[in-house]
Amino acid sequence: MTLTEGARHHASDFGPLLGQYRPPAGAFDELIDADGAVRPHWLGLLSTLAGQRQADINRAFSAADRHLRESGVFYRIYDDPVGAVRPWPLSHLPLLIDPVEWRELKEGLVQRARLIEAVLADIYGPAQLVRDGRIPAAVIAGNPEFLRPLVGVDPPGGAFLRFYAVDLGRSPTGQWWVLGDRTQAPSGAGYALENRIALSRALPNLYRDMHIERVAPFFQAFQSELTSLNRREDSRVSLLTPGPMNETYFEHAYIARYLGFLLVEGEDLTARDDGVFVRTVSGLKRADVILRRLDSDFADPLELSVHSRLGVPGLVQAVRDGKVVLANGLGTGVIESRAMLGFLPALAHAVLDEDLKLPNIATWWLGDPAARADALARINELVISPAFATNRLQPQASPDPAGGQDIVPATRDTLIEAVTRRGIDYVAQEDVALSTTPVWQQDRFVPRPFILRVFLARTADGWSVMPGGFVRIADDLDARAVSLQAGGRTADAWVLSDKPIVPTTLLQSPDHIAINRSAGALTSRAASNLLWLSRYAERAEATLRLARALINRATEDDSGTRSVNRSTTALLAAWNAIPDSMLNVRPALVVSAALQRADLSGALPFLANAAYAAASVIRDRFSPDAWRALADLADYFKEALEPHVSESALFDRINGALRIISSFSGLAQENMSQLTGWRFMELGRRIERTLATSRFLRQFAFGDESGGGLDVMLELADSQITYRRRYVMVAARAPVIDLVALDPNNPRSMAYQLARIANDLAALPKRGDGRLSPPEQIATALSASLVSIDVQAITGEFLLGVENSLMKLADAIAVAYFATHERSDESWDALA
Amino acid sequence: MIYDVRQATTYVYGSTVAYAHHILRLMPVNRPDQRVLAAALDITPAPAERREGTDFFGNRVTWITFDQPHNSLGIRFAARISVDRDATIDPDTTPGWQDVRAAVPGVADLSPLSPAHFLFPGRLVPLADEIRDFAAESFPDNRPILAGAVELMHRIKAGFRYEIGATTAATTAAQAFALRRGVCQDFSHVMISGMRALGLPAAYISGYLRTTQAPGQLRLEGSDAMHAWVSVWCGAEAGWIGLDPTNDILACNDHIALAFGRDYSDVAPIDGVVFASGGQNYSVSVQVTPVEAERASPPVPAPQGV
Repeated sequence: MTLTEGARHHASDFGPLLGQYRPPAGAFDELIDADGAVRPHWLGLLSTLAGQRQADINRAFSAADRHLRESGVFYRIYDDPVGAVRPWPLSHLPLLIDPVEWRELKEGLVQRARLIEAVLADIYGPAQLVRDGRIPAAVIAGNPEFLRPLVGVDPPGGAFLRFYAVDLGRSPTGQWWVLGDRTQAPSGAGYALENRIALSRALPNLYRDMHIERVAPFFQAFQSELTSLNRREDSRVSLLTPGPMNETYFEHAYIARYLGFLLVEGEDLTARDDGVFVRTVSGLKRADVILRRLDSDFADPLELSVHSRLGVPGLVQAVRDGKVVLANGLGTGVIESRAMLGFLPALAHAVLDEDLKLPNIATWWLGDPAARADALARINELVISPAFATNRLQPQASPDPAGGQDIVPATRDTLIEAVTRRGIDYVAQEDVALSTTPVWQQDRFVPRPFILRVFLARTADGWSVMPGGFVRIADDLDARAVSLQAGGRTADAWVLSDKPIVPTTLLQSPDHIAINRSAGALTSRAASNLLWLSRYAERAEATLRLARALINRATEDDSGTRSVNRSTTALLAAWNAIPDSMLNVRPALVVSAALQRADLSGALPFLANAAYAAASVIRDRFSPDAWRALADLADYFKEALEPHVSESALFDRINGALRIISSFSGLAQENMSQLTGWRFMELGRRIERTLATSRFLRQFAFGDESGGGLDVMLELADSQITYRRRYVMVAARAPVIDLVALDPNNPRSMAYQLARIANDLAALPKRGDGRLSPPEQIATALSASLVSIDVQAITGEFLLGVENSLMKLADAIAVAYFATHERSDESWDALA
Repeated sequence: MIYDVRQATTYVYGSTVAYAHHILRLMPVNRPDQRVLAAALDITPAPAERREGTDFFGNRVTWITFDQPHNSLGIRFAARISVDRDATIDPDTTPGWQDVRAAVPGVADLSPLSPAHFLFPGRLVPLADEIRDFAAESFPDNRPILAGAVELMHRIKAGFRYEIGATTAATTAAQAFALRRGVCQDFSHVMISGMRALGLPAAYISGYLRTTQAPGQLRLEGSDAMHAWVSVWCGAEAGWIGLDPTNDILACNDHIALAFGRDYSDVAPIDGVVFASGGQNYSVSVQVTPVEAERASPPVPAPQGV
């Protein structure tokens, strides 16, 4: 259809697209006004979509979903026993915001940020606002986020608040209201970025033509502000995360990568008398600036309330000494309580001498006798909830909020009693009706209530507002249940501009970002997990090969084969892949157990899960494909086998698993930069492979030469083809041992693994005194013993010695790189 | 009354500790009713870092860090403290408990001794309905607050069994209340929880108790332990008044206060984060000796410590 400038367009002009679009009575709708006319700033989007076939629209939207899936965007579901993650629920229609309205909103938001900074400075400083009666002492003192160890401590860097988010809702009159302030460690900006990228790719023409404000400059300004706070050249900004079990871990990893910050957990950091440091494989590195995504009370188990392993002991002391800048500062969460909302309008007058431009949801703290009496009189219209809980729409467990129409008499009586006794614990708030915005449902628009989260950052030019936001949309018209955990959706917010936008894409490097070839420092924790991940994957592979060797010979019934099969079964039992009680059962049963027993530490479900768990701690280091291969492997062994599964089915099963492992190894080999992290994966794999090969030799190479053990050995070491090419004869002991243990040109031989180990160790960071590191000393001695030994002299005892040395090597690597407490003088840039 | 207080604490670790942070709240400070004449803290091995300061509530804090491998930690504390506490207040002269409750939300004071800090639940003192109902029996309408608190203290002493080992340092008021057993920490937490649940400010005090012995009886070295009691805010005029529910007495000149906080976790004498794989063994001995000759007054029965 053609649009006429200035003319009013009714919803019915857009045919089936808006045919069923009926916002609930009494609520504000973003798309159409009370008369059913489309609001002008939506016309561009509508006319573009109306001009497309439904199939094309759905195809474009699927492309956005595919992008999100392929980027690995997910969030974690709390309360899920297996820590399941859910695909990202993107609503494909953006929320459109008119430029004039956005300018007003921005002014209100910046004013609010200034107000909150001033209030924080007073709460943790002179407390004049309390003395003057502007905030009751109990509203501060009762707040679990009021952190007493921080009272009287000036925030290093000069500000408490550096990144701030506000949840907004729109009332029936069209007025935006603040529903809550996020001052602790606001989440959502990274998800907003991902939503933006996905949607701009799905709707490239719209995105180009509609003059949409770009969000990249906001992040660049925030990044350069934090970077400028480093006191020394050799310090890097870190992002402190609670770790992969956190709901928004994906976002932590994403933001860290996007802003070029180092992703760390509490365990990676150590607070010393002269500052905070990151434990890396090349010693301790300075961390002067930390973007904090860990809640304050978890941040220091020594001085803050929660005795948690997630924090950094001594962090508060480092803050007190001015040695580390935290964004946001410790204790900033005190603003998030609902009780605080009730006082901010008056505080704007007292602190800024200004009217609050952006109102917040009407809130009364019930510690005040007059407010309490009034709330009790109006208890049916108001929502009573905990004063010190932070999120209005995801109420905390206790005490239960109740109110409005939901209140039942029994509950109401208890509530009245509780409010009378300890009104200090409660607030009353007006019930909110949220506005609605369109979402795409199969072939048309339907209205859904939403909350808009907007983001502000402190930059060199003052407070900057991200033009856009993170929209959370309720699953149905009940406005109170906006929660991703409960099945809601998210959307991007597009702020329209009156002027054409200079096209810069998010992922283009702006001029001031220098080329960076290193992947950033490798923390000791990440290195250790990389090494263990590949050890588990390699162990799984060795176990699968062993199981395959057994199933290959399951149907042969000569005495030699029976004896070899007994050896194979015994080794599976020794590795705890099967219980000892299965030593004398059929090969098919043995293999089924090794493939299915999740309770045995050597069986495949356990090994695959261990590899997955190690990788999930460092998930940000893998490509989505490599990650998926690991997840597939763990899932693969969750499938139960049929009770009387055939040998050939088991054989296929094993080969399927081996294919997944080799695809993971291949992806890691091809797609990971060959920097320090990759070296640790290599070391893990080589050490484990040497161990397994040595163990195989002990088990199969020293029996009766005609019994078939040597054939098994060649099969396990994947060396049959090489052997047959060199020796046109049946397997004989000396050539087999030579090929599998000593031949430096056989990529499966022990000698070859040791050469690679030496190579990897040489590439790791070391103290600069030119001597061999302790792991190198062990590896060199081991290599020399294999190079110099005659094949005839190789015995089980010799091999046992090799295995012991390999264990010592693994320990020495752990001591040298994972348990480091030593200070390093190298700068960050020399690391990889 | 002047006392010499000595405390020796030893930790023996099950494995070598490579790195450790500790926070010590063992050094007394001057308070309105007691003065520190001398105090010293001796730590072995010598910490890599040691610094002194005060926490929010005005307690003295010592932070220490070890960066060398060690297998044990010894902390010896010695102090001479003079106590002059007037425990003769008449409970019936204090304001009605509902008046006190009504006064607190309007308090315009965020300083360390403001009652506002001592009204809310904490990790060790959750506000549980059953403790609230128990406490409420001592607070009929308009009863003077201290009279109610004294009766509550009496009922705790009467209804709870003093038993070492029934609880740990991490036991909450609700758990101790269900057991009806515990030590001074538990008695105090239960009383604090009951008071706060009614909207009345109550604080936790750690310290020492002089164990008065019968004449002629030899003092046992190290037989005493650290003690804890409760302080109740009785309105702006009367202020904070100490009650010892373990012994059913008001805090008096036998009580030597060390630290003041919301519950045990604010005043834990030795806390820390130790990087080691094994467990630890711990022993403590406390000795509280009056320096002045005993007054002529007859000895009172020995109150229970801890």
